[in-house]
Amino acid sequence: MLWSMPFSHLHSLESDVFNMKNRLAISTSVLALVVALACNSQTIEYTSYGDALTLSDTTLVSQILAAPDSYIGERVLITGTIVEVCEMKGCWLEVASDAEFEKIRVKVDDGVIVFPLSARGHTAIVEGVVELLELTEEQAIEQAKHHAEEQGVEFDPSTVTGPQTSYQIRGLGALIAE
Amino acid sequence: MSTKKKFKWRKWNNIIHRDLGYICVGLTVIYAVSGVAVNHVADWNPNYRVQTVETSVPAGLLGDPSSPATIQDILTAIAVNGTPRATFRPDLETLQIFVDDGTTVYVNLETGAVLSEMVRDRRILREANFLHLNHPKKLWTYFADAYAVALALLAVTGVFVLKGKKGITGRGAWLTGAGVVIPVVFLWLYL
Repeated sequence: MLWSMPFSHLHSLESDVFNMKNRLAISTSVLALVVALACNSQTIEYTSYGDALTLSDTTLVSQILAAPDSYIGERVLITGTIVEVCEMKGCWLEVASDAEFEKIRVKVDDGVIVFPLSARGHTAIVEGVVELLELTEEQAIEQAKHHAEEQGVEFDPSTVTGPQTSYQIRGLGALIAE
Repeated sequence: MSTKKKFKWRKWNNIIHRDLGYICVGLTVIYAVSGVAVNHVADWNPNYRVQTVETSVPAGLLGDPSSPATIQDILTAIAVNGTPRATFRPDLETLQIFVDDGTTVYVNLETGAVLSEMVRDRRILREANFLHLNHPKKLWTYFADAYAVALALLAVTGVFVLKGKKGITGRGAWLTGAGVVIPVVFLWLYL
């Protein structure tokens, strides 16, 4: 018992140093993890809809709207704030342009992609094909009625004054920021 | 004397019907509730509750609509507590403010009229619709396929559960026939 005391004391000292080193290592690791998580929380998380995006270069919405005919049939990648979403079926959304007072509609096949109404105000990256829509007056009235129904607002016939030509993007895939 | 046992097909039919019924009951209730909800999509939004509030702000508040201070003043004036996430000007007289709590505020910059739209999930129903309309895609597609096959099996085995006057050779024949005729009549009416 007498001789064992110094050894046990030595063991205790070694053990303390070992524990201290361990604690230091653990503390450093935890700190690194917290810093990593904190940094990670700064990154934007996206929810994916439809097909995976294949393009990497974005086209400005203002560029498309400035010369839409030159983009018809072209696959483009756009980005911007979502300013409206189809309330009923989530089958379209509108993305704000980089230029003032401009936006472009992204239409997807009903039920294939469903955009949540809560996406309004979030940033979207959308890939799709630019389309030309040529509507007769009757078709334009029908479409305006349909959109009014979807948004739960009253249809105003004065908004349609004749045949309409518009451009939209047939959406294939999208990423929406959380 | 033959020892060959007779295959009791009705017994197995009823076992399959019973156990598949137990397995399918949960999803059937979910699909039934969601089915009614989405059937009336023209009359209401089955996924979200959209609450609108009309109010106004004093014209003095509507300074520079691109200024964060103006936007915050508008939100404070209409008692919206969230943080503005983004803004948009669809035209000269309208300002849209998107708040991080899901509220969208439409401000008429000429009159000061404000329309706030608060979007809230319809809890449970939205999740039921999510599954029913196969929004998850991926693995859920195959599970839903299996469920559809199970429903078909339930229907077929259900026909043979009872024998006698109340079975498929009696009353069951009339009711099964009615079930086939009803959709045919609707097709004849609407197509």
